[in-house]
Amino acid sequence: MLEARNLSKTYSSDGVEYEALKNVNLSVADGDCLAIVGKSGSGKSTLMHLLACLDSPTAGSVLVDGGDTSRLSEKAKNTLRNRKFGFVFQQFFLNGRDTVFENIVLPMRIRGASYAQLVADADEAIAAVRLSDKSFKKAKDLSGGEKQRVCIARALIGKPQVIFADEPTGNLDSTTGTAVEDMLFQMNREKGITLVVVTHDEDLANKCSRIIEMKDGQIISDKATEAAS
Amino acid sequence: MKTWDLIRTSNRNLFRNKLRTFLTVMAIFVGSFTLTMTNGLGDGMRDYVESQVKNIEGDRAIIVRKKVERPAGGPRAGAPQEYKESSGDESELDFDPNSMLLTQSQIDSAVRGLKGVKGVTPRYNFKAEYITMDGKKSYKAEIGMLSEGITAKTDAGKPLSGPNQIVIPSGLARELDPEIVNLVGKTVTVGYKLPDGTMKTVPLEIAGVATKGFMTNYSSFVGAETARKLHAEQKTASGPDQFIAFTIEMETSDAAAIAAVKEELSAKGFEADTIADNDKRTYDAIGIFKTGMNLFALVALLAASFGIINTLVIAVLERTKEIGLQKALGMGRGKIFAIFSLESVLIGFWGAVLGTLGGIATGLIANKVLVAAYAESFEGFSLFAFKPLSITLVILLVCAIAFVAGVMPAIRASRLNPIESLRYE
Repeated sequence: MLEARNLSKTYSSDGVEYEALKNVNLSVADGDCLAIVGKSGSGKSTLMHLLACLDSPTAGSVLVDGGDTSRLSEKAKNTLRNRKFGFVFQQFFLNGRDTVFENIVLPMRIRGASYAQLVADADEAIAAVRLSDKSFKKAKDLSGGEKQRVCIARALIGKPQVIFADEPTGNLDSTTGTAVEDMLFQMNREKGITLVVVTHDEDLANKCSRIIEMKDGQIISDKATEAAS
Repeated sequence: MKTWDLIRTSNRNLFRNKLRTFLTVMAIFVGSFTLTMTNGLGDGMRDYVESQVKNIEGDRAIIVRKKVERPAGGPRAGAPQEYKESSGDESELDFDPNSMLLTQSQIDSAVRGLKGVKGVTPRYNFKAEYITMDGKKSYKAEIGMLSEGITAKTDAGKPLSGPNQIVIPSGLARELDPEIVNLVGKTVTVGYKLPDGTMKTVPLEIAGVATKGFMTNYSSFVGAETARKLHAEQKTASGPDQFIAFTIEMETSDAAAIAAVKEELSAKGFEADTIADNDKRTYDAIGIFKTGMNLFALVALLAASFGIINTLVIAVLERTKEIGLQKALGMGRGKIFAIFSLESVLIGFWGAVLGTLGGIATGLIANKVLVAAYAESFEGFSLFAFKPLSITLVILLVCAIAFVAGVMPAIRASRLNPIESLRYE
C-alpha cells in the first residue's frame, strides 16, 4: 500500500539545515495497523506527512499502491489524498459554527460529490461513529470524545484506504480516549482500512499490530506486537 | 468542489463575523452610493438636455460658417487678431478676411461641385417687433428662421410646410388660447420696422405650436421664404447681401455623403456642422462633467477596497488552520483562491446592491422635491436619471474592484503550506 524508499527530509531556515529524516525505508501493507512512536523531534510526524503526501521529500520517494508520488502534480496529489487517505488530528480542526453533518461532508464537498451521494455517505459515516442523533448539532456543542468521533467520521466518509491518525487521543481523557482508539481499530479490523497512528502513548502503540520506533530521523526498531497475534 | 458549494462556503464565511462584514460592506456602500448618484446626475442632465434639443430636427442639414481664423504661429486662445487688408473685389472665394459674413456669390461658389446637395438656404436675419392675434393685445416677438431641411417638432398642428406660416412657442400659445389645438390654422399678425422706422405688418398662419426646448421656449419660427422677404425689406447697407451662415440641405441623410461634403467645405475654409454634431458637443461636455464626478466616487471606492483587503487579510489569518485542513483533505489552490475571491466579490456585490438601491431611492426623492420647487423653470427636468444599464455597470464595476482587492489575500491563502497551517497557533 505505502512504501518509503530512501526517504530524507531536510528543513532549512535562516541558513541552518536540519535533517528531520535520514534515508528511511518502510513498507506498509494493505490492512496494516502501524504505530509510529518516538520522542518529539524524532521525525515521526515528518515521516507521516511524507507518507500522506502532505509534504515532499528532499530525497527518496513515496510509493502509493506501487506508484511513485514524486512524479505527481500538486493537483494529482490533492486528488490522491482526497480519495485514498483519511486524517484524524490531535486538534480536531472542526468548524464549531457548522453542524456535525457539514463538518463530516467536507471531504466529499471537496471531491465534488452529488448531494444525494453526500447524504448517503454521511449517514453511513455518522452511524459508524454512533453519532446519528447529533447529526444537526453544532460541532462546538459536542464533548471532546464526540468531537474526535466526528473527526473519525470525516476521515471515514471518503472510503479511504489509509487513515492517518496524529496523536488521536492526545486531547482526550483516558476513558474517552480508549473509546476513540477502539473505534479506529474497529475500522481497521472490519473495513480493512490501513491505519497509521503517530503517538507517544505506549498503551495506544501496543494496541497496534506493528510498532516503528524513531530516533533522530531514523527507524531504530520495527517490530510486531502481541496484539498482532 | 462544485461552484455552488464554493459560493455557499464563501457566503457562510462572510456571516461568521457579521459586524466586520457589515462594516466592510458599508464602506463599499458609500462608494457605490456616490457612484450611483454622480452617474444618475450625469444621466439626468443629459436626458434633460436631450429633451430640450431633440425638438429641432434635421438629419440632412449642414450648417456652414466661415472658419474663425486663429492667429498664426500662436496657439494662445483669445490672442488679438491681426488686421488683414482685403483684396477689394469680394467675389467668389475671396472673402473679407476680417469678417465672418458671406455674400450670396461666395455661398454659391462654396457649394459649387458638392455632391448630393438638394438646396442651400442663407441665414436671413431680420427683426420682428410684436406678434398679435386679435389686434388688441400684442406680445413682444422673438422670431427665428428655420432653414430648409430643419424642422421644429410641434405639440399641436404641423411643422412649417410653406411660406407665410409660423410656429409659435407653447408659452405664447397658451396665453392666446389654453386649448392650443384651436390655434392651428388661425392667423397672427407680426409687426416689424422698416429701415426708415415705419412699422409694417404681415399676416402669418399658425402651422403649429412648438414642443418645448431650449430653442423653442421663447422663440417663434418662420420658414426661409418668409424670412427672406422680411430680411430684404429691412436691409439697410448697400452692396450685396451678407449672411453669417448658411444651411445646406442634402438629398439624403447618408452619413458618408454628409462627411464628404463637410470635408470639402472644411478644405475651402468653412466650418460645417450637422445638428447631430452640435448636440454631440453638448453631450460630450456633459460626459466630461459626469466622468469628473465619477472620479470622486471612484476615490471613495478605492478607499473602501482597502477595507476589503484588510478584512480578508484578517480572515486568512483567522482561518489559517481551516485552510490547512482543507488543503490536507485535497482542496486545490485554485479552490482556496476562489473561496476568498468570492468572499471579496460578495462583499462588493452586497455593497453595490445596497449602494445603488440607496442611491436610486435618494435620487427619486430628490427629484420629487426638486420638481415641486422648480417645476416652473425646468419643466420635465429630473436631476437624477437611473438607467438599468448604468446601474448594472456600477454593480459590475464595484464587483470588479472588489475582486481586484481580494486578489492579494486570496493568493496568500492559496499559497499556505498545509502542515504549517495546521500547526498555526
